[in-house]
Amino acid sequence: MNASGHRMGGASWLDRAALAAVAGALALAFLTPPEATQGNVARLFYLHVPSVSVAYMAFALALVASVGYLVSRRMAFDHLAVAAAEVGVVFTGFTILAGMIWAKPTWGVYWTWSARLTLTAIMLFVYIGYLALRRAIEDPQARARRAAIYGIVSVVQIPVVHFSVVWWRDIHQLGTVANPTGIQMDGILLVAFFAGLVAFTLVAAALVTRRYALAVLEAGVHDAAARGAGALAGDAVEAPRIGARAGEEHG
Amino acid sequence: MSRYWRFVVPAMIVLAVVVFLIFQLSSNLVFFNTPTELVESPPGTDARLRLGGQVAAGTVVTEDGGVRFLVTDGRRSVPVVHRGAPQQLFAEGRGVVVEGTYDGSVFHSDSMLVRHDEQYRVEDVEDGVYVNPGSQP
Repeated sequence: MNASGHRMGGASWLDRAALAAVAGALALAFLTPPEATQGNVARLFYLHVPSVSVAYMAFALALVASVGYLVSRRMAFDHLAVAAAEVGVVFTGFTILAGMIWAKPTWGVYWTWSARLTLTAIMLFVYIGYLALRRAIEDPQARARRAAIYGIVSVVQIPVVHFSVVWWRDIHQLGTVANPTGIQMDGILLVAFFAGLVAFTLVAAALVTRRYALAVLEAGVHDAAARGAGALAGDAVEAPRIGARAGEEHG
Repeated sequence: MSRYWRFVVPAMIVLAVVVFLIFQLSSNLVFFNTPTELVESPPGTDARLRLGGQVAAGTVVTEDGGVRFLVTDGRRSVPVVHRGAPQQLFAEGRGVVVEGTYDGSVFHSDSMLVRHDEQYRVEDVEDGVYVNPGSQP
């Protein structure tokens, strides 16, 4: 089966590039010097920040795909939307996990109900809700349409999550790279961050590609089942021929 | 046209709710009060709240079962008596968020979070060896 030019079994050039980038980013994350205030624990920056950046990108891609579906009504956009949203959920969850591991030795707690943390958790659950909504609708066109509207409306929260630390005083500090007064990070550490960003972006792209191919296959199975529904039942179920068999036995 | 409105009306409602949350609940969305807010409009003495600011230089005194220090925002400062061990990264000049009650002159804290800023810097190198993390003033 060769859906969208991507073999499900083998590793594509994108998979290989993602693996190589992960190896390079890991090496840089550990080879760069420790941070002055936090020491080694600040290396979590190279996971936490690229991860949330990729989650934002994935949800933005889900938005574009959702608009694309509503405009064109082509199912390919719906497949792309679900692939992007699912990958976004994974990376949002990973962001929160890495953040909690980081918060304990620095702030002193794994979790606290500040605006940034709470809004990020809400973002996770809103997109889990997107995936749940899709599961609840059987008809592919109805599912694609309703999911697209959900996927567009839910994007409203992303700037709120991102700018929450600017708008309200928070335990979470301001952005380091996306800082209004310039990048607040020394050059060598910044190299490790950008390596992490490239690696996370490639991994996410590889995951979206595979999830897209899977969505195409799922749709194919659904279509085949729908087309063959009448004939399948007739072919598979044999009418009982009790009388004939009984006749053979006695004959 | 009806399809258009079916989408736009819910979108407008969601947007209105978000804008309402941002502007009406802003005072509840801040994680802590500043020393200035606390001094200029003191809350009730049994109200539990958070106070955040910088640990003023030269004010940290370790005592039995806790630590006392001044928390400042550059304009006002509030003396804090904290019970319990301070966090690992607690130090003069660092950001801190303490939780407890304010009696009008002293903030009594039993819970402390240490903030760090958004700056990530390489430590100074001495003879090819990195200086111990957190040892800088």
